[in-house]
Amino acid sequence: MPLHAYLTLAATLFAIGLFGVVTRRNTIGILLGIELMLNAVNINLVAFARFNGDPTGMVFTVFTICITVAEVAVGLALVILIFRIRRTVIADHLDLLRG
Amino acid sequence: MTLEPLAFWALSALLVGSALAVVLTKNLFHSVLYLALALTGTAGIFLALEAEFLAAVQLLLYAGGVVTIVVFAIVVTERLVGERITQTSRQIVNGVIISGGVLIGVLTFLARAPLPAARPPLPGDVTRAIGQALLSRFVLPFELLAVLFLAALLGATYFARPDD
Amino acid sequence: MTDSAQFALYCLLLPAGSFLLLAVMAPLRRSGRPAGFISIVFSAAAFGWAGRAWLASSREVFQPPLLWEWIPAEAGPLATVGVLADADSTIMLVLVALVSFLVQVYSLGYLAQEPAPGLGRYYAYQSLFAFSMMGLVLAPNFVQLFICWELVGLCSYLLIGYWYQKPEAARAAVKAFWTTKAGDVGLLIGIVLLWQRTGTFDFLELLMQVDAGTLPLEGLGLVTFCIYLGAVGKSAQFPLHVWLPDAMEGPTPVSALIHAATMVTAGVYLLKRLDWLFALTPDVLALVGWVGAFTALLAATLGCVQSDIKRVLAYSTVSQLGYMMAAIGAGFASAGFLHLLTHGLFKALLFLGAGAVIHAVGSNDIFQMGGLRRSMPQTTIVFLVGTLSLAGIPLFGGFFSKEEILGAVWAGGLTGPFAMLVLAAFLTAFYMFRVVFIAFFGAPAAEGHGGHAGAGHGGVHLHDAPPSMTLPLWLLAILSVGVGLFFTVHHPEPEFAAPGWLTPLAIAVAGGGILLAWLTYHRRAVDAERLAAVFGLVREAALAKFWLDDFFEAVYRGGLLAFSRAVGWMDRYLVDGIVNVLSAWTLVLGDRLRRIQSGQPQDYVYGVAFGLLLLLVLIQWPR
Repeated sequence: MPLHAYLTLAATLFAIGLFGVVTRRNTIGILLGIELMLNAVNINLVAFARFNGDPTGMVFTVFTICITVAEVAVGLALVILIFRIRRTVIADHLDLLRG
Repeated sequence: MTLEPLAFWALSALLVGSALAVVLTKNLFHSVLYLALALTGTAGIFLALEAEFLAAVQLLLYAGGVVTIVVFAIVVTERLVGERITQTSRQIVNGVIISGGVLIGVLTFLARAPLPAARPPLPGDVTRAIGQALLSRFVLPFELLAVLFLAALLGATYFARPDD
Repeated sequence: MTDSAQFALYCLLLPAGSFLLLAVMAPLRRSGRPAGFISIVFSAAAFGWAGRAWLASSREVFQPPLLWEWIPAEAGPLATVGVLADADSTIMLVLVALVSFLVQVYSLGYLAQEPAPGLGRYYAYQSLFAFSMMGLVLAPNFVQLFICWELVGLCSYLLIGYWYQKPEAARAAVKAFWTTKAGDVGLLIGIVLLWQRTGTFDFLELLMQVDAGTLPLEGLGLVTFCIYLGAVGKSAQFPLHVWLPDAMEGPTPVSALIHAATMVTAGVYLLKRLDWLFALTPDVLALVGWVGAFTALLAATLGCVQSDIKRVLAYSTVSQLGYMMAAIGAGFASAGFLHLLTHGLFKALLFLGAGAVIHAVGSNDIFQMGGLRRSMPQTTIVFLVGTLSLAGIPLFGGFFSKEEILGAVWAGGLTGPFAMLVLAAFLTAFYMFRVVFIAFFGAPAAEGHGGHAGAGHGGVHLHDAPPSMTLPLWLLAILSVGVGLFFTVHHPEPEFAAPGWLTPLAIAVAGGGILLAWLTYHRRAVDAERLAAVFGLVREAALAKFWLDDFFEAVYRGGLLAFSRAVGWMDRYLVDGIVNVLSAWTLVLGDRLRRIQSGQPQDYVYGVAFGLLLLLVLIQWPR
C-alpha cells in the first residue's frame, strides 16, 4: 500500500479521536479520545520511518509511547483526586476557569 | 504482496470501527474495551509496516498497561460513586464539523504532497537499528525518560494517596 | 541726542523710579504719607524736566527720536522703545506732568483719612500711571504706544477700584477695563494690519512712506477704522462711553487726572499723532467727525438730568471729548488738540473743586448742597472759573479752543455735526450753570447729614478745604485764566477761514444757556418741572441713559452666558458623550467576549482545533 494510505488511516483516527475529545462528558472518556489521537500519531511516525528508510521515526515512536504511558498515569491520578474533591467526573462541572 | 493490502484493509476497518465505538459508546467500560481492541489493531498495522519491535511494545505497554490503568481508574471512581458511570455526548454537531474539517484539511494537504509510493527495501535489522540509535544518538532523551518515569510515578502516587 | 529728547527721557524715568521704589520697598509704601511725599517730589522734578523739554523742542528744528533696540531681527529691529520728543509730545508731557503733580499734592489732603498702607498703594499706582501716560505720549512707534496704552488702562482699573471693598467701585473698574478692551482689540488689529502692509511700526518711517507716496492705499480705511476703535474705547466715544460715568466711583483726584485730563485724551492724542495717516482715508475721518459730534450732543443731554456732581462732570468730559474728535474728523486736528490742552486744565480744576465740595459736604448729590458760596468762598471762585471756561465765555481758557473747533467743523464741511455741536454748547452752559446755581447759590440744604465720600467732615461746619487742596485749585484757576488772556492777546493764525458770524454765535449760545439756567434754578422764573415735561420723552430716555447700559449688559452677559451654556452642553454631551459611548462599547464587547471563557476544557480544545484548521488552510492557500 502506498504511503498516503497509511497517512489517511492515521488522519481518520486522529479526527475520530478529536471528535471524542470534544464530545465526551466524562473526563476519562476525554482521555480515551486523547489516546486515539496519540495512536494516530504513532502510526504516522512509523509509516514515514518505513517509507524513508530511517529508523529514527521508530525511535521517536518509542519515546511517544513511553511518555503517553506516564501521562495517562498522572492524568488518571488527577481525575481521581478531582473526583474526591468535587464528587464529579463530568467535565462540564469543572468550570472554575470560567471568565 | 497481495496479502499486505488485504491485511491493511482488514486492519483499517477494525481500527476505524473500534475507534468509532470508543467515542460513541454510552458505557464507559465498553469504551475502554473497544480502545483495547483499537490498540491491538494498531499493533497489527505496525506489523504490516514491518516494525515488529514496535508492535510488541504497543501490545505490552498500550494494550496491556494503559488499558489496565484506565480500567482501575474507572473502577475506583465508579466505586466511589456507587453506580455505573454512563455518559452522553454533548454538541455532536459541532464536534462533527470540527473533526470533519480537520480531516478534510489534512486529506487535501496529503493529496497534493509528493509522497513516495513504494517502500524501499529494509535497511537490515530494524530492531537492532532502533536499539543502537537509542543508546548512541538518542541516549540523552533515553536517560531523561527515566527521570520522567520517576517523576510520573511519584506524582501519581502522591495525587492518588488516600486521605489522611 | 537732542536736548528735548534727553529732558523728556529724564521726565519719563522719574515717575518710573518712584513707582519702582514704592513697589519694591514695602515698608516705605506702607508708611503712607512718606510714600506720598516721595511720589510728589519725583513728580515735581518730572514737571521741571517736562517744561525744559518743551522749551527745548520749540527751539529745535528737527527732532529725531531716541531709540533703543528691543526685539532684534535680521532686517532691522522688530520693535524699539524710546522717546519721540517733538512739539506735540512735549506739550502733552507738560500737561500730564503738571496735572499729575497737582493731583498728587491734592490727594494728600483729600485722602488724609485713608489708612497708611492704602495711601502708599495709591501713590504707587499714581506713579505708575504717570510713567505709563508719559510713555504713551513719547512713544515713537506703535509697539510702545500699545504697551503704554494697556498699562494706562490697567492703572485706570487699579485706581477706579481703589476702594475695592465697595462693590460698585469694583464693578465700575471691571466695566471700564472691559469696555476699553473692546476698543483696544480694534487698535491691535489695526496696528498689525498696518504692519502687514508697510512692514514697520515706527511713526517716522510711516510718515516718510506717506510723504513719498509709497504707502499702500487699498484697504487703508479698514486699518484706520480699527485704530480709531481704540480711540473710541479709550476716549469714551459713543457707544463705548458707558464706562466713564461709572468710573466716578474712584477717588475724585483720580477722576481729575485720569478721566479728565490725561488717559481719556490718549485717543485724541493718538488721532492727532496719526492725522497724516487718517488724512488718506477721508471716509473714516467723516465717521470720526459725526460720531464725535453725536457723542457731544448725547452726553450733553445726559448731563442735564444728573444729580451727582461728579457724574455731571463725567458726562461733560465725554461731551468735550466728542468736540475734540469732531474737530479731528473735520480734518483740523490741531484745533482738537488745542482744546485737549485747555480742557485738561479746566476740567481738572472742576473735578478738584468738586472734590473739595464733596470732601466738605460728605455727599455727591447737588441737591444736598446749596449756598456753598458763603461757607466755601475760595472753592466757589475757582469752580466758577472752571465753569466759565467750560461754557466758553471770552477771556477764559475754553472759549478760544471751543470756537476753534466750531470753526474747524464748519470749514471742514460737516454741517450736521456743526449743528449738533452748537446745540451741545448751549446744553453745556445750561447744565454746568445748573450745578453752579443749585450747589453754590440758593439756600443751604437740610442740615445734619455727615455722610462719607472720601473723608467726612460733613454736617454743620462747612468750610474751605485745607491748603494742600486749595493751592492746586488756585494754580489751575490762574492757569485757565492766563491761557485765556494769552490767546486773547496773541491770536494765532487759524488754518482755516472762519465765518464772521461764528464768534457771536458761540457767545450767544453760551450766554443763552447760562441765562436759561439762571432763570430756572436761581430766579425760579421758569419751572424746572415744566421745562422737563416739555422734553418728556427725551428726559425719560436720558434718565435711563438711553438704555445703553442695559443693552450692553444684555448682549454681553446674555451672549456670553448663552455661549458658555452652549459650550458646556457640547462638552457634557458631545465630548464626554463620545468618550462614554466608547467606554460603554468596550464594556459590552468585553462582556460578550468573556463568554468564550467557559471554563470547560473541551471548548478550549475546540479553539485549538479551529486554530489547527486555520493553519492547514493557510499552508495550502498559496497554491
